[in-house]
Amino acid sequence: MAVTEVYLRGQQAKLPGQLRIRSQMFKKVRGNTIMAALPLIVTALVLLAPLLAPHSPYTVAGPAFTPPGHGGFLLGSDSVGRDELSRVLYGMRASWLSALAVIASGLVVGVTIGTVAAVAGGWVDSLLMRFTDLFLSLPGPVLAIAVVAALGPSLLHTLIGVAIVWWPFYARIVRGEIRSLSARPHLEAAKMSGIGVMRRTLRHLLPGTFPALVVTASLDIGNLVLTLAGLSFLGLGSPAPSPELGAMSARNLTFLLQDYWTAVMPGIGILILALVGNISGDGLRGLMKDR
Amino acid sequence: MQFSTKQSSVVTRDDWNSVTERATTSSSVAKVEDYHVTFTRSGSPVHALRGVNLEVGESEIVALVGESGSGKSVLGLSMLGLLEKTSNTSVTGKVFLQDRDIALASAAEIRRLRREYLGAIFQDPMTSLNPTMRIGKQLGEVTGSKSESVELLQSVGIPEPERRMSAFPFELSGGLRQRVMIAMALAGRPKLIVADEPTTALDVTVQAQILDLIKMSRERFGTSFVLITHDLGVAAMVADRVVVMYGGEVVESGTTKDVLNSAKHPYTRALLASRVTLSGDRHRRIATMSGEAVDSRISVPGCAFEPRCPAAMEICNSTKPHLCQVEDLHDVSCLRYGSQVDDLRLSNGIDSTQMQIRSFTDGGELREGAAVQEIDSSASDAVGKREIMITANDVMVTFKVGSGGSRAMLRALRGASLQVGTGEAVAVVGESGSGKSTLLRAIAGLNTPSSGQIELRAGSKVQMVFQDSGASLTPWMTVEQLLDERLVATGVRDKHERQERILAASDSVGLYRQMLSAKAYQLSGGQRQRAALARSVVVPPEILLCDEPTSALDVSLAAVVLNLISNLRKSLGMTLIFVTHDLAVARVVADRIAVMYLGQFVEVGSTDQVLSDPTHPYTKALLSAVPDSGSTPILLNGDPASPLSVPSGCSFHPRCPSVVGSCSSTEQYLTISPASRGHLVACGVALGGQ
Repeated sequence: MAVTEVYLRGQQAKLPGQLRIRSQMFKKVRGNTIMAALPLIVTALVLLAPLLAPHSPYTVAGPAFTPPGHGGFLLGSDSVGRDELSRVLYGMRASWLSALAVIASGLVVGVTIGTVAAVAGGWVDSLLMRFTDLFLSLPGPVLAIAVVAALGPSLLHTLIGVAIVWWPFYARIVRGEIRSLSARPHLEAAKMSGIGVMRRTLRHLLPGTFPALVVTASLDIGNLVLTLAGLSFLGLGSPAPSPELGAMSARNLTFLLQDYWTAVMPGIGILILALVGNISGDGLRGLMKDR
Repeated sequence: MQFSTKQSSVVTRDDWNSVTERATTSSSVAKVEDYHVTFTRSGSPVHALRGVNLEVGESEIVALVGESGSGKSVLGLSMLGLLEKTSNTSVTGKVFLQDRDIALASAAEIRRLRREYLGAIFQDPMTSLNPTMRIGKQLGEVTGSKSESVELLQSVGIPEPERRMSAFPFELSGGLRQRVMIAMALAGRPKLIVADEPTTALDVTVQAQILDLIKMSRERFGTSFVLITHDLGVAAMVADRVVVMYGGEVVESGTTKDVLNSAKHPYTRALLASRVTLSGDRHRRIATMSGEAVDSRISVPGCAFEPRCPAAMEICNSTKPHLCQVEDLHDVSCLRYGSQVDDLRLSNGIDSTQMQIRSFTDGGELREGAAVQEIDSSASDAVGKREIMITANDVMVTFKVGSGGSRAMLRALRGASLQVGTGEAVAVVGESGSGKSTLLRAIAGLNTPSSGQIELRAGSKVQMVFQDSGASLTPWMTVEQLLDERLVATGVRDKHERQERILAASDSVGLYRQMLSAKAYQLSGGQRQRAALARSVVVPPEILLCDEPTSALDVSLAAVVLNLISNLRKSLGMTLIFVTHDLAVARVVADRIAVMYLGQFVEVGSTDQVLSDPTHPYTKALLSAVPDSGSTPILLNGDPASPLSVPSGCSFHPRCPSVVGSCSSTEQYLTISPASRGHLVACGVALGGQ
């Protein structure tokens, strides 16, 4: 009987693991999932850059200033005849991986300091947070310039300069989240279960900071790509021949009016990466909210 | 209990029509007709109301009683014209206010109705009062003049109304805030006030005051009230009529006396049976309802209560009952009543074997042990005979609150002493701010006493059950992980043994095994409490501390959890300290009751001593304020004093009805009552007067 069937189905829906996801909700979740998964796709693409790029980014492959779509150059060629597409792909690879590296280092340092401060409390907390404030007050780009000026121009030095000012954000987020989680009864319940402070922190507190961290970190990818591109535009990055988006735009700025693609294509590369970061942040936020 | 199929009053279709006629002819303040509300949540329909008829007469107090999910609040909002008409909500049926169908009324007209005709009181006055506005200004928006505001504040019993006019909501206590809310609701001299759980967030003594105020307002202004509550006892104290709701339908309605004394609908009966009251055999397990509350996502072809109904018949899951008059002014929506069964029998040719009644047992709860045995008589004897398990000696706990200039000392415990024997169950009873939870947490080791000692018998393990069981489960861990962790922490290395013990524990608390892989948010309220209990007993502790484990639960669920805790205590031989604000709950769980006020015990004795011979004036007031206790509540002055500024002498003296001159200067200590052994009372006046 149809009516009974509906009824029984409804009853079953109460059991966990059998929660039926309705079509509408599913669509929303699916949209958010795709948005959130974009960085994985981009990471895969940039890692495959050596296979995808039709030419080497360093060698001359044809005449200079070939317009896009001519002579086998999809995005044209640059002022010395190197393939623009290959250079942009390698440049995106460098930008993207650099951004991820800075975020990873920021997360490691920030989460550690934030967690220790929140769990220890008292003077340890005060000390660590003032230390964090100190770094928070440093102006990022200026510090990067100083580091590069002191150690010589290289991508690694730029990254160090940026990474030094990046972790305090994560430390603050983690500390705040843990402190609010600590007030929840589940932590006292864990204490009553006889669980030590190490495991309490790792299993009962830290996972609670993930939603906020993941969303912030993914929104930061876009931020970092722009920051790094800006620094590289100013000449703080890998030296000349290496393909770097900011530097490519800067160097080809003089050709903007005649051979626009040499300056615009790297810019579009930056745009795509920054956009992916922001979109994925929004998608993740949507996913976390549904939870 | 035998379920009788009384068919004395045969009601026909014509009578049903006359019921509706009755509704239209009498003067009604509000009327709801065949009202359906369906929300769309995450793409699926949620049936909040499924065809409700209701009528509120002039200066009548109607109580809408139901558990969570019964649709009572949605109905209340609809009567206020506050139900948001969005694309996600579909509404059919009519709500009449002042004989005006509000569905047809313009926005301006609804505003006028709300202004002149309606008032609202919500559960939490902190969120419904504007925190940024002074009381006087907020009230002035409705009254228009300052003198009228002051008068209103006076009439709702707010002391020093002139001074309160310039106070902000956060400066008032919960009881005073609710009084301000009532004053605001009364300001426009409305014909109808909808009060949604107005006393749920308040202490019992304050609840008694507020309910009294509602009754008084009706008498003074002729206002009708729709009182939404989950507590039949609250309904019994003030309502003229009780309307019981289940699964978005009215299942029974009638005069308060009829519904409470001769309930007809199996749900109402079960609800009444599962109430914890001050009468009846306290050693028997409380009757419980099987199953879980109806899922409003499901469209049920038959009676919504059928899956849980002990008196269900075969036809119940396919035929929808409708509200029928069974006695004068007493309507029931059950196929067993009125003509409905007869009609069906004739039309469907159902024979009597299909009408067989499932026996109405007292709580055939899933996989719980047999009925609890009588507590052995030694339980109520003095502690002396047993080995002492817990000794709290003059325990003081003081918290520093605020910072800088507003730094203050919160004296949560001011010298509390208590001894608990092995295997004994002691209920610590008190209102909010009494320090009862602080004592429990101090015993659990979660608070450190600033002075005094707490000693537990050597080697005894302590576990605690929290009030909000959902929040006590780590949200991202499964029940199984939480139980496993507890076993690992106590040194159970063998994975296989852990698995066995997890299954045994979940069986012992009646948690379905497949729920072990669920996380807290996937569980219902009852399942969460079971999961929390399973974690507490997976390694059986010697001492189980319970911090109001039932106060956030529906009546029927609370009964299940109380039974469960009693069972576990018996089977595991645990010593129990049970913190509650409800003396009726204390009565069923405890051998001894310890009453606390402002961080000190004011009366300690066996359950019988305290309840049948309450000696301290505070205990007396507390006992009389229990809804449905049969006695007129002793109304105390004001709210419980704040532990931030403890009154001098006997801390209860500003509210005490039998205060004498010396009370404000003489501290009171627990003294053995001359009348009975083991009964301690901290009141010289009460003891001297005996």
